[in-house]
Amino acid sequence: MTRAPVDDATPLAGEVAQRLRFDKAVLDNGLAVIGEHNAGAASVAAGFFVHTGARDETPEVAGVSHFLEHMVFKGNERYTAEDINRTFDELGAQYNAFTSEERTVYYGAVLPERLPQLIDLLAELMRPALRQEDFDVEKKVILEEIAMYEDRPHFHVFDISAPLFWSGHPLGNSVLGTKESIGALTREQMLEYFRRRYSPQNLVLAVSGRYDWDAVLEQAERIAGAWPTFEAPRERPEAETAAGRDGVVDPKLNRVHVAYYAPGIAMTDPRRYAAAVLGNVLGDSSGSRLYWELVDKGLADNASLGHEANEDQGAFVGYVSVAPERAEDVIARYQEVLARAQAEPPTPEEWRRAQRKLATGLTLRAETPLGRLTSLGATYQSLGVYQSVAEVVDRVMNAQLETGLELLAARPFDASFVFTLGPGSHEAPR
Amino acid sequence: MSSDDDASAVAGTTPEVARTPLTATLENGLTIVYEAMPWLPSVSATLVLPFGSVSDPEGFEGAATVLHEWMQRGAGDLDSRALSDALEDLGVRRGGGSSRESSSLTASFLASELEAVMPLFASMVTSPRLDDAEFEAARELAVQELESLDDSPAQRLFDELLAAFVASPQGRSPYGTAEGLAALTPALVREEARRNLRPTGAVLALAGGADWDRVLAAAREAFGGWQGDGVNLPGVQVGKPGRRHVVADSAQVQIGLAFPGPKPGTDEAYVHNVALNVLSGSMGSRLFTEVREKRGLVYSVSAFFRTLRGFGYTVGYAGTTPERADETLAVFLAELERLSEGVTAEELERAKTGMLSALVMQGESSSATAGRLAADVFNLGRARTLQEITAKVEAVTVEDVNEYVATHRLPEPTIVTLGPARVAAGVAQ
Repeated sequence: MTRAPVDDATPLAGEVAQRLRFDKAVLDNGLAVIGEHNAGAASVAAGFFVHTGARDETPEVAGVSHFLEHMVFKGNERYTAEDINRTFDELGAQYNAFTSEERTVYYGAVLPERLPQLIDLLAELMRPALRQEDFDVEKKVILEEIAMYEDRPHFHVFDISAPLFWSGHPLGNSVLGTKESIGALTREQMLEYFRRRYSPQNLVLAVSGRYDWDAVLEQAERIAGAWPTFEAPRERPEAETAAGRDGVVDPKLNRVHVAYYAPGIAMTDPRRYAAAVLGNVLGDSSGSRLYWELVDKGLADNASLGHEANEDQGAFVGYVSVAPERAEDVIARYQEVLARAQAEPPTPEEWRRAQRKLATGLTLRAETPLGRLTSLGATYQSLGVYQSVAEVVDRVMNAQLETGLELLAARPFDASFVFTLGPGSHEAPR
Repeated sequence: MSSDDDASAVAGTTPEVARTPLTATLENGLTIVYEAMPWLPSVSATLVLPFGSVSDPEGFEGAATVLHEWMQRGAGDLDSRALSDALEDLGVRRGGGSSRESSSLTASFLASELEAVMPLFASMVTSPRLDDAEFEAARELAVQELESLDDSPAQRLFDELLAAFVASPQGRSPYGTAEGLAALTPALVREEARRNLRPTGAVLALAGGADWDRVLAAAREAFGGWQGDGVNLPGVQVGKPGRRHVVADSAQVQIGLAFPGPKPGTDEAYVHNVALNVLSGSMGSRLFTEVREKRGLVYSVSAFFRTLRGFGYTVGYAGTTPERADETLAVFLAELERLSEGVTAEELERAKTGMLSALVMQGESSSATAGRLAADVFNLGRARTLQEITAKVEAVTVEDVNEYVATHRLPEPTIVTLGPARVAAGVAQ
């Protein structure tokens, strides 16, 4: 339940909510089908959310979730890879897929009259052949993708530091894997992973925008009702995160790229809205405490922080880009800003400002069915509930400063982990 | 109820209706364009100003990007912090940037805040403080962004490609140069502000959930007192096509190519764009199929139409590891060449379907719509309706495309590569 609205943002969001309807059904084999119907939408988005990702991988198959995400587009007995790409094009679909630590999502958006064909096609993806010849060609594409991200140090620094912060907890697993793990991966290993993870009870089919619910449900039952089901549990070990400093020297870099981590809270924790507001007060890309201390003064061209809530763990995660000669000073100031927040907590004005910024951002992302789909599906998959955007906005606007103080009282920033990736002319304590 | 019935039953309330941009020009020359999206709780605004690296004085490359940063650091009665706080208190999400021939400020906010946001938004161009105390930090940020470019090989490639392709000042990097940034003084950038922050030639585009009378009144109130004549930008001149390799210690070789295309907004430009979408509009298109799907040469490969004011050009991009760069470029060039042999009716239909459907979906977002309106007025001098663009794309036939590609053989492209090793393919015989 939500508390009473306290802000002018709420009636506005409520205005939208009046036209929305939440639909939900679970097929006998456990496949959940959900929808957020919006009669005013010009398009419709649909996606399969698979509850599997890098955290469900063992080290020998590091990167298999993401490689598999590419492989499902290679088709099956009924569709070749070219058929799949061509059919998406014939539908005029905006479509893609992504893999994270916690889920793999296949999605597309089309004009409403083409939804049945889109769902058909997405369902074909969920039954891939995983042919050896396709596997061999696509492995090269994955290796190119790994090389591409190596050239993006602002991304790479997180890929190499997350395993250290999470200290062996699977949330630190790399989504891409490594050249070595991908190079050694076999089709059989991928097939075994697919058979273990892609169970209907591990899947959510989510739809947002303008659609006919009876037709969607009838179609889902017809296509996916017979998919065999099995248990696909997720391991949830306790996390003991690292604190301190580490780093890697790469002489070809021009800047120092800093990854910052501090313990946070899980998605299931009701204080997560306050954690998001707190992260925004401290580290939003503009107008936050870190912005005024570092970016506004021209000491770093990027210094940010946000709270990232995973299903059973969370973290405050930040990034800094800085000139090598200034790196140590800037890192010290960055940590000082966060440490000081524990003694000088956010003011009501700062708190309010961050709430409003987050509310606007949430509202804007939900303007399009495709923009709305990810949070609709992910929230249902991870928490088992439906939350309208109006409700999320409401919760953000009602997040209490006192809750933020409670989070700060645990002194999360005393247990920070700082990782530098830079040219090495700076003093990085090892 | 079938889906088709469902579609027609709500057609009267769907976003396609009443999507006509409304335009007004204030007495001071500022063009205001607005598209109502009454079902949205939000409004997005884009203000485009006609200055960028193209207008930087010789020897002071980077003046535009520093001005763009500096002008946001306090305006009217508010210092930098107070201005930022005032906008954020209203929940405004800000953005924008300084590019080759334009600089922009963007803001998205809840429609109820329109009247409160507009004066603050306008103040950054009508009465920026440009305090000495804020100058060094603004310049220092620009210096750091320039230095960060070295750690972004793909972004650096586009800069190098445009520098090689465009001979006129539009080819200059929006990041400026180290020397140019070092030479800037507050007095010089203030002079740039006086020259460039003018209503004539500027465009204010908005889209979202407010009605036109309200939008126009708020914009007039906020921008009406702004005075000054505009600046004339030079025309685009293309350089001599050629090859260039930039040595960089990167994991992948970045491959870029560019060649001139039809003038934006013309019938020919629509035909060209449809042909390019057959080549590279989607994951089923020719480039993606041949370079990635069949050969696994890249993760990323694309070709797209870009515009400068009054000038259209095609850009191609691929990133691949050094030992495969040669084959990648060879396949890329072969596909460009093969396009002149014509496209099939099925390919054309798929390309058009994708373009039309993308138009509808972009039209659901207030910020995408404001951006489209601003770009149209800035580049074409008027805002097209979605219906007009749709009709123009729909009207392109397979005969149009095949005649076009047959008579417009691939001009010799400018090719720039960036990475550890040179790339041999495509070197002119």
